[in-house]
Amino acid sequence: MSVRFHIMRSQVGWTVAAVLASVVLMALWLFPLLWALSTALRPEHETVSAVFHWLPQTWTLEAFTKTLSAGNMPRWLFNSALVAFLVTVVTMAISLMAAYAFSQLRFRGRSLLFGLAMLAFLLPFEALLVPLFRTMHQLGMINSYAGLVLPQVVSPVVIYVFKQFFDAIPADFREAAVMDGANPLRVLWSVYLPISGNIVWAMAIVTFIGAWNNFLWPFIIVTSNDMMTIPLGLTQTYDAFGVRYAQLMAAALLGALPVALAYVVFQRRVTQGFLAASGLKG
Amino acid sequence: METTTLTSAATQARTKKRADGRRESIPAALLLAPFAAAFLLFFLLPALHTFYMSLTESSLTRTSAFVGLANYATLVQDPSFWSSLWNTFYFALLTVIPLTVLGLVMALLVNRFARIQSWLQGAFFLPYVLPISVMTLIADWMLQPSSGVINHIVGGQNAWLSDVHWALPAVAIGTIWWTVGFNMLMLLAGLRNIPGELYEAAALDGASGFTLFRAITWPALRPVVGTALLIQLIASLKVFGQTYILTSGGPYNTSRVTLHYMYETAFTQSDAGYAAAVAMAFMFVVIALSLLARMVARRAA
Amino acid sequence: MASVSLRGIKKQYEKNSVIKGVDLEIADGEFVVFVGPSGCGKSTLLRIIAGLEDITEGTLEIGGRVANDIEPARRGIAMVFQSYALYPHMSVAENMGFALKLAKVPKAEIAERVGRAAEILQIGHLLERKPKALSGGQRQRVAIGRAIVRKPEVFLFDEPLSNLDAALRGQTRVELARLHRELKSTMVYVTHDQVEAMTLGQKIVVLNGGRIEQVGTPSDLYERPANKFVAGFLGSPRMNFFDATLAGQGARSASVQLASGERVEVAADVARAQAGARVTLGVRPEHLQLARPGLEGGGIAATVALVEYLGDVTLVYAQVGESGDMVAVKTDADSAPPALGSRVELVFPATRAFLFDADGKVFAPGWVASTAEPVAQIP
Repeated sequence: MSVRFHIMRSQVGWTVAAVLASVVLMALWLFPLLWALSTALRPEHETVSAVFHWLPQTWTLEAFTKTLSAGNMPRWLFNSALVAFLVTVVTMAISLMAAYAFSQLRFRGRSLLFGLAMLAFLLPFEALLVPLFRTMHQLGMINSYAGLVLPQVVSPVVIYVFKQFFDAIPADFREAAVMDGANPLRVLWSVYLPISGNIVWAMAIVTFIGAWNNFLWPFIIVTSNDMMTIPLGLTQTYDAFGVRYAQLMAAALLGALPVALAYVVFQRRVTQGFLAASGLKG
Repeated sequence: METTTLTSAATQARTKKRADGRRESIPAALLLAPFAAAFLLFFLLPALHTFYMSLTESSLTRTSAFVGLANYATLVQDPSFWSSLWNTFYFALLTVIPLTVLGLVMALLVNRFARIQSWLQGAFFLPYVLPISVMTLIADWMLQPSSGVINHIVGGQNAWLSDVHWALPAVAIGTIWWTVGFNMLMLLAGLRNIPGELYEAAALDGASGFTLFRAITWPALRPVVGTALLIQLIASLKVFGQTYILTSGGPYNTSRVTLHYMYETAFTQSDAGYAAAVAMAFMFVVIALSLLARMVARRAA
Repeated sequence: MASVSLRGIKKQYEKNSVIKGVDLEIADGEFVVFVGPSGCGKSTLLRIIAGLEDITEGTLEIGGRVANDIEPARRGIAMVFQSYALYPHMSVAENMGFALKLAKVPKAEIAERVGRAAEILQIGHLLERKPKALSGGQRQRVAIGRAIVRKPEVFLFDEPLSNLDAALRGQTRVELARLHRELKSTMVYVTHDQVEAMTLGQKIVVLNGGRIEQVGTPSDLYERPANKFVAGFLGSPRMNFFDATLAGQGARSASVQLASGERVEVAADVARAQAGARVTLGVRPEHLQLARPGLEGGGIAATVALVEYLGDVTLVYAQVGESGDMVAVKTDADSAPPALGSRVELVFPATRAFLFDADGKVFAPGWVASTAEPVAQIP
């Protein structure tokens, strides 16, 4: 570290440029959210006034309160939370089981099945919309929680990450557990899961964020206002609020709050999770 | 100690006598069953269905006559399809390179200022965890003709999102703000993988500053940059939500990307067969491009 | 009854034959050591007994019943892994009690059995710690404790000492021997270290290339090796080998012509071979003696190349012929070692040498301790 310090030290010019760049970029990146906040904290008439103000002349929380009472925000927040939670739990469960089978059990056709599962990357989800819609229709799941949750639990990325991780755990642990009399499910639950704690958390949070943010599928499957999730509901706010920007910004910020909080609190895990997932090609 | 059979797959597995691990086929089948069921139902069958549908004349709810490659023939001659493809490529062009360059700069900065790292990284990455609608709402507000802050800074009453020349670039800029964090993360990981000793050895040799970057950092980072570019390319080609929400593909379909076109064809015009053909054709384009990109990358390596 | 019986055991991976036909009987309460070079199949054989590998052909019996298809946990065995395989997230007590918990043994009994095992191994004060807070030696004891708790009929050890440093290894060897005496269980122990094999084993099984070379007590194998491989595997420094041809036969001895020209006598029964046949002469370093050239006559000419003083013995390495191999000679550390480069003659008693045929099989020793009767054939 000290050597690099000296390297950099000798290039004062570069350091100044770096500091400048950091300040500028950071300001640019934080600006939209801060501006949204500033907008949301002012009364509606100020947002469209002829005179432009950076900061609210009158500070008020009325945009937030109106958003939460009018429209269906609370309901959307509940839907998003429920769906994201269910998607996360189910995805984790089936992915852990599948990853364990692919990683630790020997059976005919293992690599074939795994390759097939990974094929899912090639095809964009968008291409499957119509058949999925029809299937859901046949199952009577249009506009339902089940319909929202189920297609989202297929996650080759998560399985891939878990499998890589399980592969790296020394086989001795599994063999010792087998000798102790554990069946494969028990080995997964009592030995592999605790050892993988960190990566499971990371992928769980990433899955949660992904499910919360999913726009396309809810867009297709939801037909009533009451069943909307946040990303979907937010696009409805135009109609609900008309051209009321303070409220729109308040709605946007409220919708962003859960995932933003999750990121701030779990920053390291989120980073770890996204990195693990990106270790994938294309 | 024989367990009861549960599925026919398990029975088949058990009767394979000589295969090593025959004892493991049943638990494997059990563990895989939930994923297999979901995969079959929500991916494989729909995928095959889409492929089949592209060869038929179908509406949103009913599959009708088999028409062979007729849809594809129409596709090739459809100006809307080609213009949507053009828009998609244009969008990718507008985003892929800036995203990678900016991501690299940000990664370098975060790596440099290790002490305030979590703040810096947080600021750049936070947009990535936000739902798409948050980005579109804020972007739309900022780009408002009369009260938008962008116009306040730049001057004038420009209606960016309704401008034929600016609609797609505006969406692109919003997308850059939204997704650059991911690239930064990948490149940061690549940077951190470079062993410190390389820098120390170079310093002892008298190198510093930009020379270090050119001699050590860049060569080591090139493969990661390549991967980032590839991932970014594919993601950009698959854009849909931002343009749909912000511009509805307008004005005059100048910002309608291919997946948007597919969606419209399927759900608005209820021509599911044709939409399926669009989807399949597009998928091939994406695969072809990514294979091409990977080949180029491998050659350059 | 905790006997183990292997009959016609073969193991094949794809096209690779790893175990090529093994027959072995292990009696109740025996301490058996599988020893051999890397890749000889000793670990595979152990894992076959454990049930971690399937058997391609053959029958395995444990405690009298056929165990080929029985799950590992139900075979009445317990295994100590080379890497100990202690579950990192569980405490020592939980590690040791895991198998019992799975078998739904009542908590009180688990605690009692864990406690007793901990006492035997003197790890009672470590029960609440996690594995990463333990030293290597302590971890190994926990691994053994985990096996003891299950009260198995057969203990399996997979190179348990290889991860310990030298001092700890010697100490643990002693403790393992003590453990065997106390528990009186059957123990099957795998190692590549012949010192461990010789000191711990009541019965040693030498494996090579998937086959058993010889089975016997340590002294059986050391003093009456059945073939060149076993002769060269046990003993450190290794037995010295010389290429030779059979020159003549006596009643209970043979004379052989060495490649380096000398002719020496060996007390071996070479009746089944012909004059001129290719043979190998084997003499252990401790049976060779250094003599001054010309004095005794009939010794092997060599030049001293290297002298290693070890405190209790001195090893002298001498080169035979121009580009011959180095021959090791173990001499008393008290007597003055020869000078480097000096010429010596290597002599040995005819009754202390071995002759091996072209296939490596030993010729029966033509000598017997006290009587003049011909010695029985080696089976």
